[in-house]
Amino acid sequence: MSYAYLFKYIIIGDTGVGKSCLLLQFTDKRFQPVHDLTIGVEFGARMITIDNKPIKLQIWDTAGQESFRSITRSYYRGAAGALLVYDITRRETFNHLASWLEDARQHANANMTIMLIGNKCDLSHRRAVSTEEGEQFARENGLIFMECSAKTAQNVEEAFISTAATIYKKIQEGVFDVSNESYGIKVGYGNIPGPQGGRDGGNTQGGGCCS
Amino acid sequence: MDLVSKYQGYVGRVFGNENSDSNEDSYVERLLDRISNGKLAEDRRTAMVELQSVVAENRGGQLAFGAMGFPVLLSVLREERDDVEMVRGALETLISALTPIDHSRGPKNEVQPALMNSDLLSREADSISLLLNLLAEDDFYVRYYTLQLLTALLTNSPTRLQEAILTIPNGIIRLMDMLLEREVIRNEALLLLTYLTREAEEIQKIVVFEGAFEKIFSIIKEEGGSDGGVVVQDCLELLNNLLRTNASNQVMLRETLGFDPLISILRLRGSAYKFTQQKTINLLSVLETIQLLIYGGQEADPSRHTNRLTNITALVKVLDQLLMLGVESQWAPVPVRCAALQCIGDLIAGHPQNRDLLATKLLGEEPNVESALNSILRIILRTSSVQEFIAADYVFKSFCEKNPDGQKLLASTLTPQPQSMTYAPYEDDVHMSFGSMLLHGLTMSESNGDLETCCRAASVLSHVLKDNLQCKEKVLRIELEAPVPTLGGSEPLMHRMVKYLALSSSMKSNDGKSSARNTYVEPVILKLLIVWLSGCPSAVQCFLDSRPHLTYLLELVSNPATTVCTRGLAAVLLGECIIYNTSTDSGKDAFSIADAISQKIGLTSYFLKFDEMQKSLLFTSAKPALSRKPLTRSTAASMAEIEDVDENEALDQKNDHPMLVSTFDLQFVNFVKQLEGDIRDKTVEIYSHPKSQVAVVPAELEQRNGEADADYIKRLKSFLERQCLEIQDLLSRNATLAEDVARTGGSGSSGHERRPSSGAERVQVETLRRDLYEASQRLEMLKTEKSQIESEAETLKNFAAKMEAELQSLSNAYNSLEQTNIQLEDEVKALRSGGSSGGGMSAKDIEALKAEAREEAQKESEAELSDLLVCLGQEQSKVERLSARLMELGEDVDKLLEDIGDDDDAGLGEDDEEDED
Repeated sequence: MSYAYLFKYIIIGDTGVGKSCLLLQFTDKRFQPVHDLTIGVEFGARMITIDNKPIKLQIWDTAGQESFRSITRSYYRGAAGALLVYDITRRETFNHLASWLEDARQHANANMTIMLIGNKCDLSHRRAVSTEEGEQFARENGLIFMECSAKTAQNVEEAFISTAATIYKKIQEGVFDVSNESYGIKVGYGNIPGPQGGRDGGNTQGGGCCS
Repeated sequence: MDLVSKYQGYVGRVFGNENSDSNEDSYVERLLDRISNGKLAEDRRTAMVELQSVVAENRGGQLAFGAMGFPVLLSVLREERDDVEMVRGALETLISALTPIDHSRGPKNEVQPALMNSDLLSREADSISLLLNLLAEDDFYVRYYTLQLLTALLTNSPTRLQEAILTIPNGIIRLMDMLLEREVIRNEALLLLTYLTREAEEIQKIVVFEGAFEKIFSIIKEEGGSDGGVVVQDCLELLNNLLRTNASNQVMLRETLGFDPLISILRLRGSAYKFTQQKTINLLSVLETIQLLIYGGQEADPSRHTNRLTNITALVKVLDQLLMLGVESQWAPVPVRCAALQCIGDLIAGHPQNRDLLATKLLGEEPNVESALNSILRIILRTSSVQEFIAADYVFKSFCEKNPDGQKLLASTLTPQPQSMTYAPYEDDVHMSFGSMLLHGLTMSESNGDLETCCRAASVLSHVLKDNLQCKEKVLRIELEAPVPTLGGSEPLMHRMVKYLALSSSMKSNDGKSSARNTYVEPVILKLLIVWLSGCPSAVQCFLDSRPHLTYLLELVSNPATTVCTRGLAAVLLGECIIYNTSTDSGKDAFSIADAISQKIGLTSYFLKFDEMQKSLLFTSAKPALSRKPLTRSTAASMAEIEDVDENEALDQKNDHPMLVSTFDLQFVNFVKQLEGDIRDKTVEIYSHPKSQVAVVPAELEQRNGEADADYIKRLKSFLERQCLEIQDLLSRNATLAEDVARTGGSGSSGHERRPSSGAERVQVETLRRDLYEASQRLEMLKTEKSQIESEAETLKNFAAKMEAELQSLSNAYNSLEQTNIQLEDEVKALRSGGSSGGGMSAKDIEALKAEAREEAQKESEAELSDLLVCLGQEQSKVERLSARLMELGEDVDKLLEDIGDDDDAGLGEDDEEDED
């Protein structure tokens, strides 16, 4: 149960792009071809390791339907990371990215790490959005980009972990005030072994000095 | 806006009726005018203060304010943030407008201004987001009042506010931030969040996303855990709101913080002897949390089951705390003990690992260590609280369910103690085994005549025996020494239980009026026997070994003095004696039992007992498990207060005794329903295949080799006699059944009066029916006869028509003859005249020729006429014969002839003429 850091993630994007399946693949390592529409928001959690530190990910999978937008907006501010997902076989889900990003920029904290994910890359024969287009959109908006498949599990781990690594790096650089939990980051309490805790402290202090 | 004008219209009407209110109306209006249009800041502030006091004290003021004030004050809040005093005043006024004034004078159903104003305020555009914005103000009172105002809004129109807050992206986040504020604001925010999260799943999730669990547990810790005050209670209420039927949040708690914080709240520290009411409520709230986690998510949620199991597995760590609270701590108040016991039951229900863990738990300190199950049994036998008994009984029920090994373990210790131990004082029972304690409890009523303990022990025993044949057989073999040694030898435990059953009914009839206790002693013992006999022929055998048992049971079924359920259960028990009966002894076999039922009770009224029981409230409202109402500030005090349900009170409320409710849980009810079906089937089977008492072996009917005729006849005679007896027997049984059926048919208003007459009636009906049948048969015969005659008449008619046609042709022939005759005569005349005038012939010759010709012609026509006459004569005789025949057949001959005559007249007339010629 003990962790060095806890990161809160949200998964956003149009309905049907595979957000819940991504979460299920990441937390339970299974794929469910038929998934009920997500109502509101669902929760999932998993422990990962970055730089030999246990890091707990709390992931909130949101409903993509327009009618839930006002509810899901409440989750933006407190999240440290967001997975913005589109479906590479459905062009319109890619076209809507701008509006999702606008929402995120408006409601989230400025330092939220956003990972752009082109899901369903196993269906390359039906591809409607090229990898290059995805890369370009990510570059223009300062996002990390990855194509993955919740069905084959390709790149799913990587997507969640590299987002965490980016956040971790930002912490090391002192971008966040980790004592303020409203950024979606929490320092683990108690059980962190001495040297690690010390290093944590050193890092945050270092960050504090630099800023 | 439309609604506002409607309210204003309403307000106007109210004011029109009451002059004093009308004054307030204009007063409020003046004040509002001063606030919105006043120039001097000081004057506006005074106006605000005055307005606040009017609204706070006066119903009319509240109404008037509702009609006009909201836009004015909201604009103050929106545009005059700098004037802290005005903002505070406006907020205070709004709070007053939303706070109900206790007014006893008005009628109950009149409009409630506080509710109306809440509605109006929540409808004002952006009012909620404006208020949430105010939470960011620096001024303490502004934030404080804003929270109070929001709470007031929530109390009056919760759904509206919940919906409104969800549409504001940072709304809940703002409120959550308030939890980190100064104590006063934090506590207010806690209350607000508690209201906000009631039955609002999405809000619950957002609140959890914002880190509610950590915050809640840290506040609880700060406030001193279960020893803390009402703030701890509020925290736990919020916690329970977040977890109630919300699987996602339960997973979140389990996966991040785990359940350890809950355990630490349950852990009793230091002053374990002191349980203030607040502490009781706090503990009850945590126990509710545990129950919510055990219950899992929503009923319909497909993942509920797995979530539930994972929770239960994780919660096993709580078991020690629960045992401490429910069993060990002698100072814990009854409600806490009950709730803890119930949690233990929930934790082990259907969870083998937890069950086995409980079985291994030892409580107490050396040298008085004993198994937890024994301690719980002692609670069952000794507690003065029915509620506590029910909760502890639930633990055993959960423990024994689908747990044959556990049942065997418990049953293995069931061995009777020597006589001296039976009367040993209770205090010595720490060293008694589970079984000895249970047996002791079962039989101890002997000494004090109170069946309460016996009844409780019987309930536990029924759990131990349920669905476990081995345990049933083992317990059957238990023999008890007679209570008074001089009165004969030992008797089986089961017989003792039946004796107690009889004792409890006799106690009741002696009392005259039934006390609450006796309403459940009988059902509980009956339940034990039903569970025992189910699927266990040797138990049935043991039960029937004593002849009076059956008689007693038959009486109990038809005893109008007992309750519907007792009669029903007794009927079920009787039924089990039929379906699980493998005995072949006459008098004890299934057939004789069925016979006895049909003779003593009547099958119909026997089955009626089942129906009555099924219709009773206990059966129709049986629940799977005890459910509790959520603990809130308003209900908590009363929950903590209940020491026990007063027995008299329980009767007064017309509710069934809690003990009965727990006895008739859903499983038992379903079990009984299923048994009933089996009993009906088996009874029908027994009656449709009666066991023949006289074996008919064809070979035996033959005369044996060397058997004397006399012997043979004697043998056959005796065989016949036996068969005759059996037929008599069957007939009489048939008569009983028929009578039963007849009674069912007549069971209505007229009941018995109808029965005697119905026999005679039936005979009469039978005769009439036979007559009717005969008559109809005769009718049928006549009908075919008639159709035959008709067809005959038809052929005759055709025949007559043919005759007529012949006649016609004859007359035609005659006519042509006559014509020829006339022609010839003319010829003769012409010849004659020709002859006299210039012909070679003399007149004489002509005359002679003429005479000759005439003669010839006459002869010829005469012959023809005679032919015709002969023909006619023949026809006439034919007609006569036919007429006679027709007459014989009953046909109206004259008419028929007339019909024919109509056509024939002409012909006949000609005939006549011819005759005359």
